[in-house]
Amino acid sequence: MPEMVTLTIDGHEVSVPKGTTILEAAKSIGTEVPHYCYHPGMSSPAMCRLCLVEVEGAPKPMPGCVTTVMDGQVVHTQSEQALKNRRGVLEFYLVNHPLDCPICDMSGECNLQDYVHAEGREHGRGREPKRIFGRDDFGGDVLFYGDRCVMCTRCVRFMSEVEQDHRLTVVERGNRSVIDTFYEEGLDGTYWHGNIVDICPVGALVSKEFLHKARAWDLTHTPSVCTGCAQGCNIDLHTRDNLVQRVKPRENLDVNAWWICDYGRHGYEWMNRGDRLEAPVMRSAGASQAMAWGDALRALLAKADGAGPVKAIASAKSSNEDLGALKRLVDALGGGDIVYRSARADDEVPLKGFPTLARRTDLTPNATGADLVGASRVGDDDATGGLDAVSGHDGIVIVLNDDLSDQGEDFGANASLFVYMGTHASAGATHADFVLPISTHAEGEGSFTNLERRVQRFAKAMDAPGMARPAWLVLGALAAETGGGDAPRSAADAFAALGRSVSAFAGITWEDVGTRGALLNESVSVTGD
Amino acid sequence: MSDIPFKNPGWAGNTGEFELSEEEVRGADFVGDRPADGGHASGAGTMPYMLAHKEPEAPLFDGAYKDRLEKILSRYPTKQAALLPALGLAQEIRGHVSPASMDEVADALELSSAYVRGVATFYTMYNKRPVGRHLVQVCTNISCNLAGADEVVDAFLKYTDTELGETSEDGNFTVIEAECLAACGFPTCVQINSRYFENVTPTEVPKICEHLKAEGE
Repeated sequence: MPEMVTLTIDGHEVSVPKGTTILEAAKSIGTEVPHYCYHPGMSSPAMCRLCLVEVEGAPKPMPGCVTTVMDGQVVHTQSEQALKNRRGVLEFYLVNHPLDCPICDMSGECNLQDYVHAEGREHGRGREPKRIFGRDDFGGDVLFYGDRCVMCTRCVRFMSEVEQDHRLTVVERGNRSVIDTFYEEGLDGTYWHGNIVDICPVGALVSKEFLHKARAWDLTHTPSVCTGCAQGCNIDLHTRDNLVQRVKPRENLDVNAWWICDYGRHGYEWMNRGDRLEAPVMRSAGASQAMAWGDALRALLAKADGAGPVKAIASAKSSNEDLGALKRLVDALGGGDIVYRSARADDEVPLKGFPTLARRTDLTPNATGADLVGASRVGDDDATGGLDAVSGHDGIVIVLNDDLSDQGEDFGANASLFVYMGTHASAGATHADFVLPISTHAEGEGSFTNLERRVQRFAKAMDAPGMARPAWLVLGALAAETGGGDAPRSAADAFAALGRSVSAFAGITWEDVGTRGALLNESVSVTGD
Repeated sequence: MSDIPFKNPGWAGNTGEFELSEEEVRGADFVGDRPADGGHASGAGTMPYMLAHKEPEAPLFDGAYKDRLEKILSRYPTKQAALLPALGLAQEIRGHVSPASMDEVADALELSSAYVRGVATFYTMYNKRPVGRHLVQVCTNISCNLAGADEVVDAFLKYTDTELGETSEDGNFTVIEAECLAACGFPTCVQINSRYFENVTPTEVPKICEHLKAEGE
């Protein structure tokens, strides 16, 4: 237990560990002290001068981001002196600010906008012409609007302290100072620079990909998990019009803190892809027939009866719930092999300043989950090949969420029953007796298990097209009909069923996983029952 | 230098009250051409004076200059700490700090080029553009201005036939205005490369320029 210090902030007594800053202590009681340069993941230069608070006994206002608390200290963040200070500092920030909020991407989530609106002057008093920098292409995904910059140097410190590739710097001095790279060098070749757009408190650094695409207040934020690799970074999917518009990191100090890599940040467009499978289709004697889910599943079960041993292809992109339901169905049908394919990169791409975070070599989000339900990996590092044993199988073939892109039209030609569950049509599914549309992870709830065996939930961000349903719902219903038990009605049900059938997932509940994730094989239950 | 017929040759310590030569005040190592190895260690950290005959094509840290860089590095705990004198050395060799020079300094000191650019652009005494062999900085701050600095500037511009900040056609002179050179007792003060010329009047300007052209410094 660290030594505790008790102080008073705005009349509230608060106890925090020794060494905490005033800004953090205020945050712990729900008071936000306005700030720009301070970021919990980096050093504090105390140069924005916005977090100055009144400390009784101190000769002048103290910067809350670097002043550590003392016993018996009395801090005022809303006193006349503190407010007057912020009002004055904010006026300086607007001296050269172009006030182009109507065309600024940051508008609506901008700290300068918020603070000035809350505490700034009603009218500017400047009569002088404003200094003009224009905009600069930093390469990569980053565009820099120098006029909007408040010189907090968060981006400079991110590149030097966290990514540890000192590409950004403050060039020139005084009124002419501006953020820049080494002339034309830019940020190309760095793989985490998208984070400087996130941590920019104003609209100075914006994403080219998101440029003028949507207004901040139109976006719906849904907590999710990145599917780019086995790290399982926590993200928010920002959606509008049932399309993912951008991906932002979601703070989770156990996994990715505040950062995500550029691969993950820009790897969302597959979720927006059209030409989806939208209705269950049964094929017999060369004819295809779209039908209701109930009819399709009844017909499938009738045909599965006595159709022989099962060989199933799962996917490391499917959730734990999907994989568990597939496992139960395969067992109920008499058991059989489950294989999956997963792409691997040659090298990890580490974030030097945060050693537990890297773009991992395993480029699928749930290979750990697939391994835990007993599936085995086949194929090469491009997620191709390895399916010869399944391709010519004469029993039941079930394909879940693998697009069979490398397979020819004769895949599964000998199967007595070939069920293809996917999001898109595939040449490999030509001989499928049933083509069942499933939703992506963005269109339903579920969980992934990352490489350190941490189970993390994701939520529903978009509506699934047509009649597409989560795979756990379909497979769970089939498994219940074949092998007994209740069909899962929610992702939580499916996760509980997974815990009953796969011992690795036993002992943790859907609530334990929560928004921060839960490690497998840790017998700690935060719900206490 | 003591034979230069100006009222004050402008080296530290010469108040006219003592019969001291520059050699006696600054030491023999610092008079005339600075040795390529930088001379005595105690003087190595002083502001570099620019070579009157600049060698813009010379490699930055090669031969004697490499020895000087090593000498500079030996005085600091880290390589980063030696950045300012290293940039000064680069400017001494080439006359200005170009992006290519910044890159070479960054390589030599194991820093990022962007960081070196940030430092070099922060300090106004690093020339970011090429300048003439003689960088003429005329103080136009209060004392000198009262003593007629504007006329001195005009005289230099007229003699060299340039605009403020431009380099003369023969490549000899770049004339700029400077803020206070801290020689308010001797207006108008003109700093040419690293040397002060004090009590300069417009009539003396052609003589100074001829002298510089003839003798280098």
